[in-house]
Amino acid sequence: MDDKQEPKGIVLTEAQKKRRRERSVAIALALGVLVVLFFAVTLVKGPAVLVRPM
Amino acid sequence: MSVIDHNAIDLPRISEASVADYIALLKPRVMSLVIFTALVGLVIAPGHFHPVLAFTSILCIAVGAGASGALNMWYESDIDALMSRTANRPIPRGRVTRPEALAFGMVLAFFSVMTLGILVNWLAGGLLAFTIFFYVVIYTMLLKRWTAQNIVIGGAAGALPPVVAWAAATGSLAVEPLLLFLIIFFWTPPHFWALALFRNDDYARAGVPMLPVVAGPDATRLQILLYTIVLVAVAVAPWPLGYFDAVYGIASLLLGSWMLVLAVQVYQRREGTAALRATRKLFAFSILYLFALFATLLVEVVARAVAPSIW
Repeated sequence: MDDKQEPKGIVLTEAQKKRRRERSVAIALALGVLVVLFFAVTLVKGPAVLVRPM
Repeated sequence: MSVIDHNAIDLPRISEASVADYIALLKPRVMSLVIFTALVGLVIAPGHFHPVLAFTSILCIAVGAGASGALNMWYESDIDALMSRTANRPIPRGRVTRPEALAFGMVLAFFSVMTLGILVNWLAGGLLAFTIFFYVVIYTMLLKRWTAQNIVIGGAAGALPPVVAWAAATGSLAVEPLLLFLIIFFWTPPHFWALALFRNDDYARAGVPMLPVVAGPDATRLQILLYTIVLVAVAVAPWPLGYFDAVYGIASLLLGSWMLVLAVQVYQRREGTAALRATRKLFAFSILYLFALFATLLVEVVARAVAPSIW
């Protein structure tokens, strides 16, 4: 019966899925740039920061 | 007044915003001018500055400017929807909601300031935070809808990027970046009032008290002329004062002379298509003026580095 069907929730259209994926990739790239930036500046400002005694 | 009330819909809203919509929130054209003026502030700063730190500084300043743009669009979405120049922005078009733009702007503002502070220095980070605060809170929230002097005072935000860049490179402040600040500061009124003259209907419809709306076009034309005179004097002054050399001095004299000619034409031609053409010409040239003035400083520094003996 129709009444007992499981609710499907919100179903994204293909366009919405595509845009969400593009936004996710952009956020990932931005975070990647931030990581690389911090790593590069750490090397520039002093490689000794990477040598940490136990 | 809010034109689009997203809270009226109870169902969860699925965003259809593309990456391009978020890039549009950053005001890329404004950002390009910010990057350029900051680059000049960075390049004319004395001493050696590591290229990675220089890149980091420019990136943070650019992202900070983008954050300001996004927060500006968040706050102004109601008047943006009423003006033809801004009606296509992501929020009035319904592509991005106001809370999304607010979150986007705040995240970028936080990361740009913290990254600049941690990786470069806290004077630059603090100045960037002040720039964003000044543009969003002082200009956008307080001045823009309250006084016809909005862009005069608010112009300080747009004038700060070279100061931030200098602070990033040197960790201190000096006269040279403040001269660059003054040039952009006095450039802002004639540039935006020229725009406001031919977008008068837009601003009047949106209720923004731009000078032509409040004081009328003739008073605006006089103010444009007066500010242009001050601008040209301020732009030439660093040459006789000994801060920038003769190449800059001659360039600023030539460019300033033409800027003055166009401002006089705007003042004299008050009716019909001649008036509109004069205003548009001044607006277009004012962008070239600032770009060429700063490019001269950039070229000088590069030429000195490439061929120090012949300079």
